Amino acid sequence: VTQYLPGGTNPDVPRDPGNAGGPDPDHPGHPGPPAPGTGTDLAVQIGLVARGDAAAFDDVFEKVGPAVFGIVLRVIRDPAQSEEVTQEVLLEVWRNASKFDAGRGSAMAWVMMLAHRRAVDRVRSVQKESERERRTASAEVPYDDVIEAVESSLERERVRRCLRSLTNLQRESVTLAYYSGYTYDQVASLLGVPAGTIKTRMRDALIRLRDCLGVV
Amino acid sequence: MKLGLGKRRTIAARDAHTLAGAYAMDAISERDRARFEQHLAGCQECTREIASLREATARLGTATAVTPPAGLKGRVMAAAAMTRQQPPAAAEPDAPARADATVRAGAWFRSLAWPGRAAVAVAAAAAVVVLALAVVFGVSNGSIRQQLSQAQASSQQIAAVLTAHDAQMMTGPVAGGGTATIVMSHSQHALVFTAAGLRALPASRGYELWLIGPAGTRPVGMLPAGSQGMTGPVIAAGLRVGDHLALTAGPAGGTSQPTAPMMLDVAL
Repeated sequence: VTQYLPGGTNPDVPRDPGNAGGPDPDHPGHPGPPAPGTGTDLAVQIGLVARGDAAAFDDVFEKVGPAVFGIVLRVIRDPAQSEEVTQEVLLEVWRNASKFDAGRGSAMAWVMMLAHRRAVDRVRSVQKESERERRTASAEVPYDDVIEAVESSLERERVRRCLRSLTNLQRESVTLAYYSGYTYDQVASLLGVPAGTIKTRMRDALIRLRDCLGVV
Repeated sequence: MKLGLGKRRTIAARDAHTLAGAYAMDAISERDRARFEQHLAGCQECTREIASLREATARLGTATAVTPPAGLKGRVMAAAAMTRQQPPAAAEPDAPARADATVRAGAWFRSLAWPGRAAVAVAAAAAVVVLALAVVFGVSNGSIRQQLSQAQASSQQIAAVLTAHDAQMMTGPVAGGGTATIVMSHSQHALVFTAAGLRALPASRGYELWLIGPAGTRPVGMLPAGSQGMTGPVIAAGLRVGDHLALTAGPAGGTSQPTAPMMLDVAL
Protein backbone atom coordinates (compact mmCIF):
# COMPACT_ATOMS: atom_id res chain seq x y z
CA VAL A 1 0.00 0.00 0.00
CA THR A 2 2.74 2.41 0.93
CA GLN A 3 5.81 2.86 -1.16
CA TYR A 4 9.03 2.43 0.76
CA LEU A 5 12.39 3.81 -0.06
CA PRO A 6 15.15 1.81 1.56
CA GLY A 7 18.14 3.86 2.56
CA GLY A 8 16.58 7.27 2.21
CA THR A 9 14.53 9.39 4.55
CA ASN A 10 12.80 11.71 2.17
CA PRO A 11 10.14 10.09 0.05
CA ASP A 12 9.93 13.19 -2.14
CA VAL A 13 13.46 12.94 -3.47
CA PRO A 14 13.49 10.96 -6.69
CA ARG A 15 16.13 8.28 -6.62
CA ASP A 16 17.71 5.96 -9.07
CA PRO A 17 16.13 2.58 -8.23
CA GLY A 18 19.45 0.85 -8.79
CA ASN A 19 20.94 3.10 -6.18
CA ALA A 20 18.45 2.56 -3.40
CA GLY A 21 20.27 -0.11 -1.48
CA GLY A 22 21.63 2.01 1.35
CA PRO A 23 25.29 1.79 2.35
CA ASP A 24 27.01 0.94 -0.91
CA PRO A 25 30.55 2.15 -1.48
CA ASP A 26 30.00 3.32 -5.02
CA HIS A 27 26.81 5.07 -5.99
CA PRO A 28 26.43 5.12 -9.72
CA GLY A 29 23.37 7.33 -9.49
CA HIS A 30 25.14 10.18 -7.74
CA PRO A 31 26.01 13.33 -9.61
CA GLY A 32 29.58 14.49 -9.95
CA PRO A 33 32.70 12.63 -10.98
CA PRO A 34 33.96 9.88 -8.68
CA ALA A 35 36.96 11.89 -7.49
CA PRO A 36 37.58 10.89 -3.90
CA GLY A 37 38.69 13.70 -1.65
CA THR A 38 37.83 16.62 -3.88
CA GLY A 39 36.23 19.46 -2.00
CA THR A 40 33.42 20.23 -4.40
CA ASP A 41 32.43 16.58 -4.37
CA LEU A 42 32.09 16.68 -0.59
CA ALA A 43 30.05 19.87 -0.79
CA VAL A 44 27.69 18.23 -3.30
CA GLN A 45 27.30 15.22 -1.03
CA ILE A 46 26.53 17.38 1.98
CA GLY A 47 23.84 19.02 -0.15
CA LEU A 48 22.36 15.56 -0.74
CA VAL A 49 22.63 14.75 2.97
CA ALA A 50 20.57 17.87 3.68
CA ARG A 51 17.79 16.21 1.68
CA GLY A 52 17.98 13.08 3.81
CA ASP A 53 20.10 10.97 1.46
CA ALA A 54 21.51 8.19 3.66
CA ALA A 55 23.76 6.86 0.89
CA ALA A 56 25.37 10.28 0.49
CA PHE A 57 25.85 10.42 4.26
CA ASP A 58 27.66 7.10 4.02
CA ASP A 59 30.03 8.68 1.47
CA VAL A 60 30.50 11.73 3.66
CA PHE A 61 31.47 9.49 6.56
CA GLU A 62 34.05 7.75 4.39
CA LYS A 63 35.56 11.10 3.41
CA VAL A 64 35.55 12.98 6.70
CA GLY A 65 35.47 10.18 9.30
CA PRO A 66 39.26 9.70 9.61
CA ALA A 67 39.95 13.46 9.75
CA VAL A 68 37.22 14.02 12.35
CA PHE A 69 38.29 11.09 14.50
CA GLY A 70 41.94 12.10 14.14
CA ILE A 71 41.55 15.66 15.39
CA VAL A 72 39.07 14.69 18.11
CA LEU A 73 41.46 12.01 19.33
CA ARG A 74 44.37 14.43 19.27
CA VAL A 75 42.55 16.96 21.41
CA ILE A 76 40.75 14.58 23.79
CA ARG A 77 43.31 11.73 23.87
CA ASP A 78 40.90 9.24 25.41
CA PRO A 79 39.79 6.85 22.62
CA ALA A 80 36.37 5.99 24.11
CA GLN A 81 35.42 9.65 24.60
CA SER A 82 36.84 10.50 21.20
CA GLU A 83 34.61 7.92 19.62
CA GLU A 84 31.58 9.44 21.33
CA VAL A 85 32.47 12.93 20.24
CA THR A 86 33.18 11.77 16.68
CA GLN A 87 29.69 10.32 16.59
CA GLU A 88 28.24 13.60 17.90
CA VAL A 89 30.09 15.52 15.20
CA LEU A 90 28.87 13.27 12.42
CA LEU A 91 25.33 13.46 13.75
CA GLU A 92 25.64 17.23 13.77
CA VAL A 93 26.69 17.08 10.12
CA TRP A 94 23.59 14.98 9.44
CA ARG A 95 21.26 17.27 11.39
CA ASN A 96 22.67 20.56 10.15
CA ALA A 97 23.69 19.68 6.58
CA SER A 98 21.15 22.24 5.35
CA LYS A 99 23.07 24.94 7.23
CA PHE A 100 26.28 24.35 5.28
CA ASP A 101 26.93 27.28 2.97
CA ALA A 102 29.49 26.58 0.25
CA GLY A 103 29.88 30.33 -0.25
CA ARG A 104 31.44 30.64 3.18
CA GLY A 105 34.18 28.06 2.88
CA SER A 106 34.97 24.48 1.96
CA ALA A 107 32.90 21.57 3.21
CA MET A 108 35.94 20.04 4.88
CA ALA A 109 36.64 23.27 6.78
CA TRP A 110 33.03 23.32 7.96
CA VAL A 111 33.17 19.73 9.20
CA MET A 112 36.56 20.26 10.86
CA MET A 113 35.24 23.37 12.59
CA LEU A 114 32.35 21.35 14.06
CA ALA A 115 34.77 18.58 15.06
CA HIS A 116 37.38 20.79 16.69
CA ARG A 117 34.82 22.90 18.50
CA ARG A 118 33.08 19.89 19.98
CA ALA A 119 36.35 18.28 21.01
CA VAL A 120 37.45 21.47 22.72
CA ASP A 121 34.05 21.91 24.39
CA ARG A 122 34.28 18.37 25.73
CA VAL A 123 37.79 18.85 27.08
CA ARG A 124 36.86 22.13 28.75
CA SER A 125 33.73 20.77 30.39
CA VAL A 126 35.80 17.90 31.80
CA GLN A 127 38.46 20.34 32.92
CA LYS A 128 35.84 22.38 34.73
CA GLU A 129 34.78 19.31 36.65
CA SER A 130 38.19 18.01 37.64
CA GLU A 131 39.77 21.45 38.03
CA ARG A 132 43.06 22.39 36.56
CA GLU A 133 45.36 19.95 38.29
CA ARG A 134 46.21 18.06 35.15
CA ARG A 135 46.88 21.22 33.22
CA THR A 136 50.63 21.12 33.59
CA ALA A 137 50.73 17.36 33.26
CA SER A 138 49.07 17.42 29.85
CA ALA A 139 51.18 20.34 28.66
CA GLU A 140 53.67 17.94 27.20
CA VAL A 141 55.63 19.03 24.17
CA PRO A 142 52.85 18.87 21.60
CA TYR A 143 55.05 19.73 18.66
CA ASP A 144 57.04 16.51 19.03
CA ASP A 145 53.78 14.64 19.12
CA VAL A 146 52.70 16.23 15.91
CA ILE A 147 55.96 15.34 14.25
CA GLU A 148 55.54 11.79 15.43
CA ALA A 149 51.97 11.51 14.20
CA VAL A 150 52.76 13.18 10.94
CA GLU A 151 53.66 10.37 8.61
CA SER A 152 54.57 9.82 5.04
CA SER A 153 51.66 11.30 3.19
CA LEU A 154 52.31 14.33 1.08
CA GLU A 155 49.72 16.38 2.90
CA ARG A 156 51.19 15.62 6.29
CA GLU A 157 54.65 16.42 5.02
CA ARG A 158 53.40 19.75 3.77
CA VAL A 159 51.71 20.66 7.05
CA ARG A 160 54.85 19.70 8.92
CA ARG A 161 56.99 21.85 6.66
CA CYS A 162 54.67 24.81 7.09
CA LEU A 163 54.60 24.40 10.88
CA ARG A 164 58.40 24.46 10.79
CA SER A 165 58.36 27.74 8.90
CA LEU A 166 56.75 29.47 11.89
CA THR A 167 58.67 31.13 14.70
CA ASN A 168 58.92 29.05 17.86
CA LEU A 169 56.38 31.19 19.69
CA GLN A 170 53.95 31.07 16.77
CA ARG A 171 54.29 27.31 16.45
CA GLU A 172 53.86 26.69 20.16
CA SER A 173 50.83 28.97 20.25
CA VAL A 174 49.21 27.09 17.38
CA THR A 175 49.96 23.59 18.61
CA LEU A 176 48.90 24.32 22.20
CA ALA A 177 45.70 25.98 21.00
CA TYR A 178 44.69 23.74 18.12
CA TYR A 179 46.07 20.34 19.06
CA SER A 180 45.81 20.62 22.86
CA GLY A 181 42.65 22.71 23.00
CA TYR A 182 43.88 25.52 25.27
CA THR A 183 42.46 29.03 25.27
CA TYR A 184 44.78 31.88 24.38
CA ASP A 185 45.11 32.95 27.98
CA GLN A 186 45.93 29.41 29.08
CA VAL A 187 48.57 29.32 26.34
CA ALA A 188 49.86 32.68 27.56
CA SER A 189 50.24 31.46 31.13
CA LEU A 190 51.82 28.17 30.02
CA LEU A 191 54.40 30.02 27.96
CA GLY A 192 54.80 32.93 30.37
CA VAL A 193 53.98 35.48 27.67
CA PRO A 194 51.37 38.28 27.86
CA ALA A 195 47.95 37.28 26.52
CA GLY A 196 47.92 40.14 24.05
CA THR A 197 51.15 38.87 22.48
CA ILE A 198 49.75 35.35 22.17
CA LYS A 199 46.59 36.61 20.46
CA THR A 200 48.66 38.44 17.88
CA ARG A 201 51.03 35.50 17.36
CA MET A 202 48.11 33.17 16.80
CA ARG A 203 46.69 35.34 14.06
CA ASP A 204 50.09 35.90 12.44
CA ALA A 205 50.81 32.18 12.60
CA LEU A 206 47.55 31.20 10.92
CA ILE A 207 48.01 33.78 8.18
CA ARG A 208 51.48 32.38 7.54
CA LEU A 209 50.21 28.81 7.58
CA ARG A 210 47.40 29.73 5.23
CA ASP A 211 49.82 31.24 2.75
CA CYS A 212 52.31 28.40 3.13
CA LEU A 213 49.63 25.76 2.59
CA GLY A 214 48.29 27.59 -0.44
CA VAL A 215 44.77 27.83 0.94
CA VAL A 216 42.58 29.78 -1.46
CA MET B 1 27.51 59.73 25.16
CA LYS B 2 27.93 59.45 21.42
CA LEU B 3 31.65 59.85 21.80
CA GLY B 4 31.82 57.12 24.43
CA LEU B 5 29.92 54.71 22.23
CA GLY B 6 32.15 55.42 19.27
CA LYS B 7 35.26 54.86 21.33
CA ARG B 8 33.99 51.57 22.64
CA ARG B 9 33.25 50.43 19.12
CA THR B 10 36.77 51.23 18.02
CA ILE B 11 38.24 49.24 20.84
CA ALA B 12 35.86 46.35 20.19
CA ALA B 13 36.77 46.30 16.50
CA ARG B 14 40.49 46.38 17.14
CA ASP B 15 40.19 43.71 19.80
CA ALA B 16 38.07 41.59 17.53
CA HIS B 17 40.66 41.84 14.82
CA THR B 18 43.43 40.45 16.99
CA LEU B 19 41.09 37.74 18.28
CA ALA B 20 40.65 36.28 14.78
CA GLY B 21 43.45 33.74 15.17
CA ALA B 22 42.34 32.57 18.60
CA TYR B 23 38.75 32.36 17.38
CA ALA B 24 39.65 30.29 14.32
CA MET B 25 41.35 27.79 16.65
CA ASP B 26 38.53 27.82 19.22
CA ALA B 27 41.11 29.13 21.68
CA ILE B 28 38.70 31.49 23.40
CA SER B 29 36.18 31.11 26.19
CA GLU B 30 32.54 30.52 25.35
CA ARG B 31 31.67 34.06 26.40
CA ASP B 32 34.37 35.61 24.20
CA ARG B 33 33.26 33.39 21.37
CA ALA B 34 29.69 34.64 21.55
CA ARG B 35 30.87 38.24 21.72
CA PHE B 36 33.21 37.77 18.78
CA GLU B 37 30.46 36.19 16.71
CA GLN B 38 28.27 39.19 17.37
CA HIS B 39 31.06 41.32 15.96
CA LEU B 40 31.50 38.97 12.99
CA ALA B 41 27.86 39.37 12.03
CA GLY B 42 28.51 43.01 11.19
CA CYS B 43 32.02 42.71 9.74
CA GLN B 44 32.30 41.15 6.29
CA GLU B 45 36.05 41.56 6.14
CA CYS B 46 36.47 39.69 9.43
CA THR B 47 34.15 36.95 8.21
CA ARG B 48 36.27 36.50 5.11
CA GLU B 49 39.46 36.41 7.14
CA ILE B 50 38.04 33.86 9.57
CA ALA B 51 36.91 31.70 6.66
CA SER B 52 40.42 31.68 5.19
CA LEU B 53 42.01 30.96 8.58
CA ARG B 54 39.51 28.13 9.11
CA GLU B 55 40.74 26.58 5.87
CA ALA B 56 44.25 26.62 7.33
CA THR B 57 43.21 25.11 10.68
CA ALA B 58 41.22 22.45 8.83
CA ARG B 59 44.48 21.39 7.18
CA LEU B 60 46.14 21.13 10.58
CA GLY B 61 43.26 18.85 11.50
CA THR B 62 43.20 16.63 8.42
CA ALA B 63 46.95 16.07 8.82
CA THR B 64 46.18 14.06 11.96
CA ALA B 65 43.66 11.72 10.30
CA VAL B 66 43.28 8.34 11.99
CA THR B 67 41.13 5.45 10.80
CA PRO B 68 38.06 5.39 13.05
CA PRO B 69 37.29 2.21 15.00
CA ALA B 70 35.32 -0.46 13.16
CA GLY B 71 31.66 -0.25 14.02
CA LEU B 72 31.60 3.51 14.48
CA LYS B 73 30.19 4.08 11.04
CA GLY B 74 27.38 1.61 11.65
CA ARG B 75 26.43 3.35 14.87
CA VAL B 76 26.55 6.77 13.23
CA MET B 77 24.42 5.63 10.31
CA ALA B 78 21.89 4.01 12.62
CA ALA B 79 21.72 7.04 14.89
CA ALA B 80 21.29 9.30 11.86
CA ALA B 81 18.41 7.13 10.72
CA MET B 82 16.62 8.06 13.91
CA THR B 83 17.61 11.72 14.02
CA ARG B 84 15.42 14.43 12.59
CA GLN B 85 17.24 16.88 10.36
CA GLN B 86 17.12 20.65 10.71
CA PRO B 87 15.32 22.55 7.98
CA PRO B 88 17.30 25.13 6.01
CA ALA B 89 17.47 28.60 7.58
CA ALA B 90 14.31 30.45 6.62
CA ALA B 91 15.48 34.05 6.22
CA GLU B 92 19.15 34.91 6.45
CA PRO B 93 21.44 32.45 8.18
CA ASP B 94 22.37 33.93 11.53
CA ALA B 95 25.57 32.69 13.08
CA PRO B 96 24.57 33.38 16.71
CA ALA B 97 21.54 31.14 16.48
CA ARG B 98 23.62 28.34 15.05
CA ALA B 99 26.26 28.72 17.69
CA ASP B 100 23.56 28.71 20.33
CA ALA B 101 22.15 25.45 19.00
CA THR B 102 25.62 23.94 19.04
CA VAL B 103 26.22 24.96 22.60
CA ARG B 104 22.89 23.61 23.74
CA ALA B 105 23.51 20.34 21.94
CA GLY B 106 26.92 20.12 23.56
CA ALA B 107 25.53 20.71 27.02
CA TRP B 108 22.81 18.21 26.34
CA PHE B 109 25.20 15.45 25.29
CA ARG B 110 27.35 16.08 28.30
CA SER B 111 24.35 15.79 30.58
CA LEU B 112 24.04 12.18 29.50
CA ALA B 113 27.27 11.20 31.20
CA TRP B 114 26.69 9.04 34.23
CA PRO B 115 29.17 7.21 36.47
CA GLY B 116 30.46 3.87 35.33
CA ARG B 117 29.15 4.19 31.82
CA ALA B 118 32.48 3.63 30.18
CA ALA B 119 32.92 0.39 32.07
CA VAL B 120 30.18 -1.43 30.25
CA ALA B 121 30.40 -1.63 26.52
CA VAL B 122 26.77 -2.42 26.12
CA ALA B 123 25.79 0.61 28.16
CA ALA B 124 27.73 2.71 25.70
CA ALA B 125 25.74 1.19 22.91
CA ALA B 126 22.55 1.87 24.82
CA ALA B 127 23.67 5.45 25.35
CA VAL B 128 24.08 5.82 21.62
CA VAL B 129 20.52 4.70 21.21
CA VAL B 130 19.24 6.96 23.95
CA LEU B 131 21.13 9.86 22.40
CA ALA B 132 19.57 9.21 19.05
CA LEU B 133 16.14 8.65 20.49
CA ALA B 134 16.28 11.68 22.70
CA VAL B 135 17.22 13.77 19.69
CA VAL B 136 14.28 12.34 17.80
CA PHE B 137 11.77 12.47 20.56
CA GLY B 138 12.89 15.58 22.34
CA VAL B 139 12.92 13.85 25.69
CA SER B 140 13.77 16.23 28.50
CA ASN B 141 17.14 15.74 30.18
CA GLY B 142 15.72 14.56 33.48
CA SER B 143 13.65 11.79 32.06
CA ILE B 144 16.32 10.25 29.88
CA ARG B 145 18.06 8.40 32.67
CA GLN B 146 14.75 7.30 34.08
CA GLN B 147 13.66 6.00 30.72
CA LEU B 148 16.98 4.29 30.28
CA SER B 149 16.68 2.36 33.51
CA GLN B 150 13.05 1.53 32.86
CA ALA B 151 13.70 0.28 29.41
CA GLN B 152 17.24 -1.02 29.77
CA ALA B 153 16.46 -4.41 28.33
CA SER B 154 14.57 -2.90 25.48
CA SER B 155 17.31 -0.35 24.73
CA GLN B 156 19.88 -3.11 24.67
CA GLN B 157 17.73 -4.91 22.13
CA ILE B 158 17.37 -1.68 20.20
CA ALA B 159 21.12 -1.11 20.37
CA ALA B 160 21.71 -4.60 19.02
CA VAL B 161 19.50 -3.86 16.01
CA LEU B 162 20.94 -0.40 15.35
CA THR B 163 24.52 -1.60 15.47
CA ALA B 164 23.98 -4.85 13.60
CA HIS B 165 26.18 -5.29 10.54
CA ASP B 166 23.12 -5.86 8.37
CA ALA B 167 21.01 -3.03 9.84
CA GLN B 168 18.83 -1.51 7.15
CA MET B 169 16.83 1.66 7.36
CA MET B 170 13.53 2.23 5.62
CA THR B 171 11.26 5.17 5.76
CA GLY B 172 7.95 6.06 4.20
CA PRO B 173 4.51 7.60 4.65
CA VAL B 174 1.72 6.19 6.82
CA ALA B 175 -1.77 6.18 5.29
CA GLY B 176 -3.78 8.80 7.16
CA GLY B 177 -0.77 10.92 7.96
CA GLY B 178 2.73 10.66 9.35
CA THR B 179 6.04 9.04 8.47
CA ALA B 180 7.37 5.75 9.75
CA THR B 181 11.04 4.85 10.07
CA ILE B 182 12.13 1.27 10.46
CA VAL B 183 15.59 -0.06 11.18
CA MET B 184 15.67 -3.82 10.79
CA SER B 185 18.24 -6.53 11.15
CA HIS B 186 17.59 -10.08 10.02
CA SER B 187 20.66 -11.27 11.89
CA GLN B 188 19.09 -9.92 15.10
CA HIS B 189 15.61 -11.14 14.08
CA ALA B 190 14.22 -7.80 15.11
CA LEU B 191 13.31 -4.32 13.96
CA VAL B 192 12.96 -0.94 15.58
CA PHE B 193 9.91 1.11 14.65
CA THR B 194 9.44 4.85 15.11
CA ALA B 195 6.96 7.27 13.60
CA ALA B 196 6.58 11.01 13.30
CA GLY B 197 3.35 12.96 12.92
CA LEU B 198 0.90 10.09 13.31
CA ARG B 199 -2.66 11.35 13.48
CA ALA B 200 -3.84 11.48 17.11
CA LEU B 201 -6.52 8.90 17.92
CA PRO B 202 -9.38 9.11 20.45
CA ALA B 203 -8.61 7.49 23.82
CA SER B 204 -10.69 4.43 22.95
CA ARG B 205 -8.48 3.62 19.98
CA GLY B 206 -4.79 3.00 19.47
CA TYR B 207 -2.20 2.03 16.89
CA GLU B 208 -1.13 -1.59 16.84
CA LEU B 209 1.87 -3.15 15.10
CA TRP B 210 1.84 -6.60 13.49
CA LEU B 211 4.27 -8.97 11.89
CA ILE B 212 2.58 -10.94 9.15
CA GLY B 213 4.22 -13.68 7.12
CA PRO B 214 4.66 -17.37 6.42
CA ALA B 215 5.00 -17.93 10.18
CA GLY B 216 1.53 -16.45 10.73
CA THR B 217 0.20 -13.18 12.07
CA ARG B 218 1.79 -12.02 15.32
CA PRO B 219 0.78 -8.89 17.23
CA VAL B 220 3.87 -6.85 18.17
CA GLY B 221 1.95 -4.59 20.52
CA MET B 222 0.22 -1.28 20.87
CA LEU B 223 2.26 1.80 20.06
CA PRO B 224 2.83 4.07 23.05
CA ALA B 225 1.12 7.45 22.95
CA GLY B 226 3.12 9.95 20.93
CA SER B 227 5.06 12.78 22.47
CA GLN B 228 5.57 16.00 20.53
CA GLY B 229 4.44 14.25 17.39
CA MET B 230 6.94 11.41 17.77
CA THR B 231 5.99 7.81 18.51
CA GLY B 232 8.18 4.95 19.68
CA PRO B 233 10.75 3.50 19.56
CA VAL B 234 9.16 0.08 19.63
CA ILE B 235 11.18 -3.07 19.21
CA ALA B 236 9.59 -5.91 17.27
CA ALA B 237 11.37 -9.18 18.01
CA GLY B 238 10.84 -12.49 16.25
CA LEU B 239 11.29 -11.09 12.77
CA ARG B 240 11.39 -13.81 10.10
CA VAL B 241 12.27 -13.82 6.45
CA GLY B 242 9.23 -13.04 4.34
CA ASP B 243 7.49 -10.99 7.02
CA HIS B 244 5.53 -7.82 6.45
CA LEU B 245 5.18 -5.11 9.07
CA ALA B 246 1.64 -3.78 9.37
CA LEU B 247 0.15 -0.93 11.35
CA THR B 248 -3.54 -0.78 12.21
CA ALA B 249 -5.73 1.60 14.18
CA GLY B 250 -8.09 -0.41 16.40
CA PRO B 251 -9.51 -0.72 19.92
CA ALA B 252 -7.12 0.60 22.57
CA GLY B 253 -7.07 -2.81 24.25
CA GLY B 254 -5.72 -4.47 21.15
CA THR B 255 -7.16 -7.28 19.00
CA SER B 256 -6.07 -10.80 18.17
CA GLN B 257 -6.27 -10.25 14.43
CA PRO B 258 -5.55 -7.13 12.39
CA THR B 259 -9.11 -6.39 11.27
CA ALA B 260 -8.95 -2.61 11.01
CA PRO B 261 -7.71 -1.11 7.74
CA MET B 262 -3.94 -1.20 7.32
CA MET B 263 -2.30 2.16 7.83
CA LEU B 264 0.99 0.70 6.69
CA ASP B 265 2.12 -2.54 5.11
CA VAL B 266 5.81 -2.98 4.43
CA ALA B 267 7.56 -6.02 3.03
CA LEU B 268 10.71 -6.58 5.08
